[in-house]
Parts: sequence; C-alpha cells; structure tokens
Amino acid sequence: HYIMGPQHKRRKTEETVPFAWEVIPVLSDEKSQDVKLLTAYAAPIMNKKETSRLVKEVAALYPLSGLQHLKRVRACEEKSSPHPLEIILCLVSNVKDHSDADTVVSLSDLFSDRNIDCSGLGEPFLVQVPAHPPLTRPQFEKASCHWPTSFHEDKQVTEALTGQLFSTEEKAKMQGYMEKAIRTAKEGENKGMELVGAVLVDPNTDGVLAVAHDCRNSSNPLLHAVMVCIDLVAHGQGGGAYTYKDYPACTFAVMDRSHCTLAEKCLISIDREDCSESEDSGLPYICTGYDLYVTREPCVMCAMALVHSRIHRVFYGISSPDGALGTKYKIHTHTDLNHHYDVFKGIMERECQQLFLK
Amino acid sequence: MGSEAAGGNEAAFQPSAGEHKWMQRAFEMAKEALQNGEVPVGCLMVYNDEILGQGRNEVNETKNATRHAEMVAIDQVLEWCHQNGRDHAGVFQRTVLYVTVEPCIMCASALRLLKIPLVVYGCRNDRFGGCGSVLNIPADELQNTGNPFKCISGYRAEEAVEMLKTFYKQENPNGFRGAVAVRGSQKK
Repeated sequence: HYIMGPQHKRRKTEETVPFAWEVIPVLSDEKSQDVKLLTAYAAPIMNKKETSRLVKEVAALYPLSGLQHLKRVRACEEKSSPHPLEIILCLVSNVKDHSDADTVVSLSDLFSDRNIDCSGLGEPFLVQVPAHPPLTRPQFEKASCHWPTSFHEDKQVTEALTGQLFSTEEKAKMQGYMEKAIRTAKEGENKGMELVGAVLVDPNTDGVLAVAHDCRNSSNPLLHAVMVCIDLVAHGQGGGAYTYKDYPACTFAVMDRSHCTLAEKCLISIDREDCSESEDSGLPYICTGYDLYVTREPCVMCAMALVHSRIHRVFYGISSPDGALGTKYKIHTHTDLNHHYDVFKGIMERECQQLFLK
Repeated sequence: MGSEAAGGNEAAFQPSAGEHKWMQRAFEMAKEALQNGEVPVGCLMVYNDEILGQGRNEVNETKNATRHAEMVAIDQVLEWCHQNGRDHAGVFQRTVLYVTVEPCIMCASALRLLKIPLVVYGCRNDRFGGCGSVLNIPADELQNTGNPFKCISGYRAEEAVEMLKTFYKQENPNGFRGAVAVRGSQKK
C-alpha cells in the first residue's frame, strides 16, 4: 500500500499536465521589467476628518505629475497604529537634489512660507513609491508592497503569464504545428540546410498555409526558414519571388483536413484578402491574422519581415543568440514601429533544443 | 609572415571614388520610378565600379511585403555571381549599396548578414529605418549576424524626402499599402 501511493499519484499528475512544455509570453520590457521605485516624503494623517482638505492642499502645492497611478493616501499598514491614514507629500526630487536625498525633513521645511494648514499632519518620513503604473499582475503585486497604485488589468496578459491563456485543445494544435516544423527542418537537413523549420497557419480555419525549412545554404544566404515561409504564403496568393522546385518539403497550401485543392486554397486566400481589405482600413497584407510556428527565435531580418507582413502571432521553441523576439531585441513590441504582434516561446522546447544541438 | 589586421578581410577596402556618380544614378532611378507611379526609391549595388544590382520595390507584384528594392538588388547580385561562377560571399564583402532612402531594419540586417562594408544613403526613414533612425543594425553588438558596416548618410536628403511625399500624395488606391508603407515619412 505504501509503495503504490506515490506511483498512483504520479500517473494522475501526468493526466492533468499532458504537455512537458509551457507557452511563455514574450512581453515588452515595460511589462516584464522589475518595479522601479522613487523616494517620496509621506506623513501620517492624525485626524481622519482633515483628509480631503489635506489632499486638496498638498496636491495643489505638489502635484504628482506623471504619477497618476499613485494613490495619494493609503490606509495605515499596522492595525495598532495611532493614526489611520498616511499621505504622500511630495517626491524627494521635488524639494532636494541628489546629495542629501535620504535625509528626513520637517513639515516646516516642506511647507515653509506656503499657505497650508498643517494641522492634522504628523512628522514626515521617507517612503518608496512605484515610478510607473503597473502593467501586469505581478508588477501590481510588487508595486503594492511599497505603496498602493491603481491597476487596469489586461486579463489576457494575466492569463498568459499564469499559463491559462491556451486550452489543452489549443496546445495540442500547437504541438501538431511545431511537430510539422521540426519534421520539415529535418527534411531540410537532408538537403544540407540548417535545422530550422517554420509553419504558417490560419488560426481561424486551422489551415496550414505554408511549410518551410531553412534554405540559407542554397544559392541565397538570406533564405531563412521564416523568409521562405513568407514567400510561400505569397505563392499561395498568386505572387511569390522564388521557386522551390529543388526543395519539395517547402510547400504552400498543404492538403489539410478541409481537403482544399490548391486552386480552391488560392481562391480562399484571395477572398480573405478582400474581406480584410474592406473591414481593416484597406490593408490586404498577406499574413494579416496568421500565426507562425518556428523552431527557434527569428533573427532581426526575419522578425522585421514579419512586421512588414503583418503577422498576428509568433510561436517559437527556443531562443537564439541574436534573436530579435526577446533576446537581443523585441521587434514585436517596438513602439516606433507601425505593426505589433504577440510572441510566445517554449513550444516543444526540448524537441527544438535537440534540433539545435544536433 | 606579415601581421594581419584584426578581423580584417580586405581591411583596407575603399569605396569607389565615384560615390557622387552612383548616388546621382540612384536619384535618377528614383525619379523614373516616381514618374511611373512606383515607390520613388533608387538603389544600386556596385562592385568593382560595375553595377551588379539595381532594385526597385516589388511588393505589389510578388504579394510579398519583404520585396524591398534592396532585397531585389541583392538577388540580382546573387544571380550575377551564379552566372559568372563567383563566390557571393567574396563579392558582397566588396560591394557598396547606394540608396536614396535609409534601408529598413530588415534590409539593414540582410546587408549585415552579407557582410557588405558600406552603405551610402540619402534621407532618413523615421518609420522603419535600420541604420540609426529606429534601430542601428550596422553598429549593434550582434556576434552571429554578419559584420558591422559603415554608413554615409544625408546625400541630397531633402530631395529624396520630397519625392516620397509627392508619391504618397498621389498614392495608387489599388496598390498594396505595403509598397507605400515600406519607407518614408508617411502621414499618420
């Protein structure tokens, strides 16, 4: 009985967690950075009835410009505290230069020859306050340890961070696409190519639009798997710049469950284009609304090609040394660029790693 | 044996003395493109005082948003190497790009991967520029992305911008927006 216990337990765990990998969102620096802090003077409010008057007068003298996320007043942390509330008076940088930043001042230093009635305020003390509005729940929780802030929660980001954004069914589909990318990478290897594979998918129909392996060891050193994939989608829509007759594993409009013929597939693509053109301010970009699965993090050329192509989401397995979707750059969240996309990593991480090490 | 310059293949590579000549030619190409209702970007790849590639934007006809003039010109150089039995790596390392507008991030990365030594360009590209405007690909620390390269900028910049502005004003309503969004200081 004693021996059977843990074994039984382990099997149960495997049932509830069918995947050995997690989908990890690659968020912007703003969303993933640690909470930055500023030093401020705060003071106890000795008499609760003075609160609204004090907030008004202090805010008029020391507005917290650019720090609208900070609550001006907080309830006192300790229940046993003799005063119920505390108020931010000003940032230390509002009244002092760096040299003596951490010295405590008195109320008269802060409000000397100002028209403020300090009755009801206790002596000032130093406190750390969050410098930026929290953008994710982990940031909010850390920020709140220092001083209360407002928080407009993006539910999707919270779900992504806790691994709840994608259902088991969706993860099974991801696994299918990534397995296809890995298989294709191996086909490319047989042709002397680097072991990278990519699959482009329309998530609305689950249709696979293009499958590619890396072709950079061909006559064109820029034919990275992602560039090939983008061009194959263009082929599927009656365009395209290169031919792939020497690389039969690089395909577009692969027969899938919908059993479309090549011609039908092209028609569907053109229809879709027209639709997106009418509803989406005339942007008939070929990869609009599509997802890319790629075994390793794209380089900066490929990441920017995906911006130009208006990709919807990118899922990759492992990071690359000069990767542009998390490692060296975050092209997908760059505020100066006119298109952004969501990026997730970690899909079939171990299998992709094995490919890389081969 | 003599000492080799650190990291140097062709360390003493000098750009063609006819820099002005090639930029003038690039501007002529941009003007021609504008007159034909195409994106007014002129782009030349010059090796040994010979034009191996002259690209024009082919985003519309290929339905491939990566077909910027630079990428097209690169393919022409590759084709020339193929035809002439030359190793493309050696050729690109001695080829200069002359272009009327700053290459975008994608094209700058492609040029870096090919180890092009020098890019001479006209105006900045505030929306997508990869040679200093949005990112600085030629100078960034990227161990696995070819070689850093040198840029010379500002050649007839105002004229290059004016051509782009003129083009955007007469924007072809049937055209791919991709062709337009490729570069320049578009409205919005």
